[in-house]
Amino acid sequence: MAKKKLTESRRKFLKVSLGAFLSGALTSCDLSRFKNPKTMVKSPIGPNILRPPGAVPEDHFAQKCIRCGRCGEVCPYHCIKYFDVKEAGVFSGTPYINVMEKPCYLCMKCVYVCPTGSLVPCAKEDVRMGVAVINRQICVTWQQEKTGLMCKTCFSVCPFSGVAIKIDHDFRPYIVEENCTGCGICAYSCIADTWYENKGKKAITIMPIKWKKIKEIKLEDIKKS
Amino acid sequence: MARKSFWKRITIWRYLFLTACFITVVGNPFTNYYWDINFIQGWFQSLGVGNLWVVSPLEGIESILTAKAFYMPSLVGMVVPVTLAFLMGRVFCSWMCPIEFLSMITDKILGLIPKWGTKLKYRPDLIRFPKRLLWFALVAELLLTMIVGYPLFVWWSPPGLVGRETMFYVFYKHITVEIAIVVLVLLLNLPTRRMFCRYFCPLGATLALIGKWRQLVIRYDASVCVGCKVCDSRCPMGIKPSVGESQSVYCWNCAECVDACPTSALNFVWRDKGVLKVSSFPVAEERKS
Repeated sequence: MAKKKLTESRRKFLKVSLGAFLSGALTSCDLSRFKNPKTMVKSPIGPNILRPPGAVPEDHFAQKCIRCGRCGEVCPYHCIKYFDVKEAGVFSGTPYINVMEKPCYLCMKCVYVCPTGSLVPCAKEDVRMGVAVINRQICVTWQQEKTGLMCKTCFSVCPFSGVAIKIDHDFRPYIVEENCTGCGICAYSCIADTWYENKGKKAITIMPIKWKKIKEIKLEDIKKS
Repeated sequence: MARKSFWKRITIWRYLFLTACFITVVGNPFTNYYWDINFIQGWFQSLGVGNLWVVSPLEGIESILTAKAFYMPSLVGMVVPVTLAFLMGRVFCSWMCPIEFLSMITDKILGLIPKWGTKLKYRPDLIRFPKRLLWFALVAELLLTMIVGYPLFVWWSPPGLVGRETMFYVFYKHITVEIAIVVLVLLLNLPTRRMFCRYFCPLGATLALIGKWRQLVIRYDASVCVGCKVCDSRCPMGIKPSVGESQSVYCWNCAECVDACPTSALNFVWRDKGVLKVSSFPVAEERKS
């Protein structure tokens, strides 16, 4: 009799705890995402949301990364952040850099602490986190006839100034795609959003390159992205 | 024989070591964030102390299985924990794991309750599963990882989450929903002591599997034993040393039974030493005769 009672209470306990766990897990997740399960396995990398320097191609980054968080801990600028499970599904806990919040200053500390080779040690100039794209409709210097401004911010802040960003005879900036590291300092410091007609839009976006190894990236791939 | 004097108890050293490890893991986000001291980084998924890299074996294996590529530093990082497991078995679980630290603290707090303290501290198991469930947990975890194609334990590993949530709190001023897993694991301790560690922890299963060939074991001396069965009630893993289970694969060398034994019938020995002792007897007898 006592044994039966114990079994019953045990079953009850198991049921209650399982139910509590499931309901907790379900309510803590954004249910609208479950309508489209693809969002849970789709890479959240996109414009201005980039992997840290030296990252392996995006199609096996999440498989290699063991989410140890060491890259974020050594980053002296605290610009490496981690995806949340609600936004990124299986990509949760993998590092990213949002260049609009804080760009990468290419100190190259994170690549030397990665234990699984998700971030491969490489030289500063070999980093290809993405490629900067200038929107010439928004850039105040490209629209200098309308704005009357001559801004060289992106040219002066670029760590490879004169190599990755050059200015032409009218002081208009243009990107040399094969040298751009995609660090995002230019996009971060672009002042085009303060021009009243642009409504807070920045002229430079960093587009990620996520489907090839660093050494295999060719000019056509960069131009395609 | 009376109880061992305070500093001679092995469990005291275990508690101190657990606390030190917990402080290291929880404290290193603070040193990294506020003082930029990068000497220690990460937590128990991968811990970097200076130039020493330690990669947790299960996470490393999962990373290799899903990425289908080897990376030498990652393999080298797995050498230290695997060697430790070969020598001493599941000591990571009992001497370092932050979850074990939190469970130990909860048990100690429960023990402070007057009148009921000892009963609550060494509570009998309400829910029991067969112990081999541990292996099924490991196999299920690895299979699920292979099916999904992304490493899963790196995300939900409770010892890792303790460090991760601290780091998130320090660096990004928020904690994530995964903290629920840690809370759940600690709640599972209430019906059965260390229920998660006993039956469901894939990392513990990996270490126990390696620790099958461990050198440091607890020897049960039946000639000294008086059969008081204190060790059975003390063991957090639900092993019964009094019936000779002290060298079982599921033992995690936490020394609770060694300290509880009033007649020192249970002792830590190096397995090789024990073998040598047995074989040396006939030799000695031959010399005498």
